[in-house]
Amino acid sequence: MTDTADPATGASDSLEGVASDGGWTFRVDGLVKRFGALAANDGITLRVEPGEVYGLLGPNGAGKSTLVKQTIGLLKPTAGRITLGRFDLVADPDAARQLCSYLPQAQMPVDAFHLREAIELAGRIRGGDMAQVRRRAGELIDSLDLGEWRNTLGTRLSGGVKRLVGFCMATVSPGHLVILDEPTNDVDPLRRRLLWEEIRALGAGGCAVLLVTHNVLEAEKAVDRLALITSGRLVAEGTPSSLKASDRTRMRLQVMLTPGVETPALPAWSSSEVRVGNNLVTTIAETDAPAGIAWAAGLIDGGVAEEYALGAATLEDAYIRLTSDMPVDGRDGDA
Amino acid sequence: MATLDAATLTVRFSAVGHGPRHWWRDYVSMLRWHLASLRMWLMTLLAVQILSGVGFVLGISLFFRHIPVSAALYVSTGVPVINILMVGLIFGPQLVANQKSAGSYEYLRTLPVSRTVTAAAWSTVCLVSGIPAMVVSLVVAQLRYDLPLHISPMIVPAVLLISLAGTMMGYALGHAVGNPMAIQLVTQLLTFVVFGFAPVLFPLSQMPGWLATLNWWFPFRHMAVMTRAALTSTGGSTVSTAYIVVGVWVVASAAVAGWVLGRRR
Repeated sequence: MTDTADPATGASDSLEGVASDGGWTFRVDGLVKRFGALAANDGITLRVEPGEVYGLLGPNGAGKSTLVKQTIGLLKPTAGRITLGRFDLVADPDAARQLCSYLPQAQMPVDAFHLREAIELAGRIRGGDMAQVRRRAGELIDSLDLGEWRNTLGTRLSGGVKRLVGFCMATVSPGHLVILDEPTNDVDPLRRRLLWEEIRALGAGGCAVLLVTHNVLEAEKAVDRLALITSGRLVAEGTPSSLKASDRTRMRLQVMLTPGVETPALPAWSSSEVRVGNNLVTTIAETDAPAGIAWAAGLIDGGVAEEYALGAATLEDAYIRLTSDMPVDGRDGDA
Repeated sequence: MATLDAATLTVRFSAVGHGPRHWWRDYVSMLRWHLASLRMWLMTLLAVQILSGVGFVLGISLFFRHIPVSAALYVSTGVPVINILMVGLIFGPQLVANQKSAGSYEYLRTLPVSRTVTAAAWSTVCLVSGIPAMVVSLVVAQLRYDLPLHISPMIVPAVLLISLAGTMMGYALGHAVGNPMAIQLVTQLLTFVVFGFAPVLFPLSQMPGWLATLNWWFPFRHMAVMTRAALTSTGGSTVSTAYIVVGVWVVASAAVAGWVLGRRR
């Protein structure tokens, strides 16, 4: 075990858990990870405080999962440090596995287990007390509305329910840092809402939560702060409101195009246009709103579009603006 | 919303580490995990093990009208090697290959248990699942051929060491070979080698000289020497050598597995 001598974390043996471990912080300092000539992480620095839900956003291949895998000890950084309190997680991957719990993007091994059994076993392996694990497993099952599958074998569960079971397995005995890689994948909208509440509850319970997601619109409501990563670099960091600040005087114009039509030429005063299917989204200045409405109405009159909507700019617009030179995924807010 | 009392649910800083108390608790948890994860296959696995063991024992009587007791004894005292070896050496790496294909391998590698805990728990499963087939095969052999078996206490270390060798070799193979399909192919090859080209069920003297020499370096021949000696209460320098060679394979395989599991790209 490597002790990086953080005097703030002098935990007493008589005290227990996250809250008693003092003023610990999860820190990433100058993290570089190269695969040959490719820099998957190129000097990333960030910190997550206890109780904070921190979002990692970015397009596919941006380096988010690479950062997470270095944190949990699956990959070794080329340079830089990752620490949690007094523990150097790069030098001591055993400590990383004990202090961090991890929901990977890939499938969890739940097929051979009954739902409740999988959660309880994962909790015990994570070092949780039997009675506490049993109680929290039951509460998680109820909170995520999984009760009807409580004793169902994993092979009979849908993909979304398996994803939720994976979340429960990772958080039934949570680490100081809880790493969730795309937790809402395949989950239905109602349970997705419940899942976000549970993620918030992890923060309220004292854990630091590192959340990797493409779901920009939902993340906006759930995270305290977020970082935007592209090409291995952290290009923006802050609260959702601060990242949207430069879009405050801009509006989002969304046009539902008639199926099969070419993307119409956009007015010079619009920017950051993105088309996903028949959904064309662009941003315009507030002062251009009347012109935008007239332009969209003209598209409808000409049979090019079926409807439009004009509203306040969202975090998604900031995301698109900041990654506009990158191949963007999840622009429609879906995972 | 579930209430989270992180103060009692989370490992505190002062408890981070792998002391003996953690080791035993983690071992029990991982053993439960392995047994539960195999629940759909365990009975089938046991049945296949028993059928293959009994099949070898009774199968030779189909080849020959009259079987000398010495030949029946040779086969029957070699079959336990196959019973004990196969789960760890063949099924184990195939299970790891499945985990790699399904995508659950990474999660399992991030569980907060030491490598020795995981290896010990899996070794226990392999050992326990091999013993019933070994016992049934020997009982059937005794009933069918009325063999002059004299089982010595050395059967205990022999079974333990053979099982551990098979498990560690399979463990190293499963974790060192990255591609799941390649793992499947290598295990097929190993089955072929153990059944057809290792002097486990037939004498070494019946092999070409070069293959006999080659087999000296592999553990399978020596494993058969160990079970044969323990089941007939015989000994000699070849038996001591057998324990040493198989022991070296255990250590080497465990070292490879430990290195591979600790390696980070």
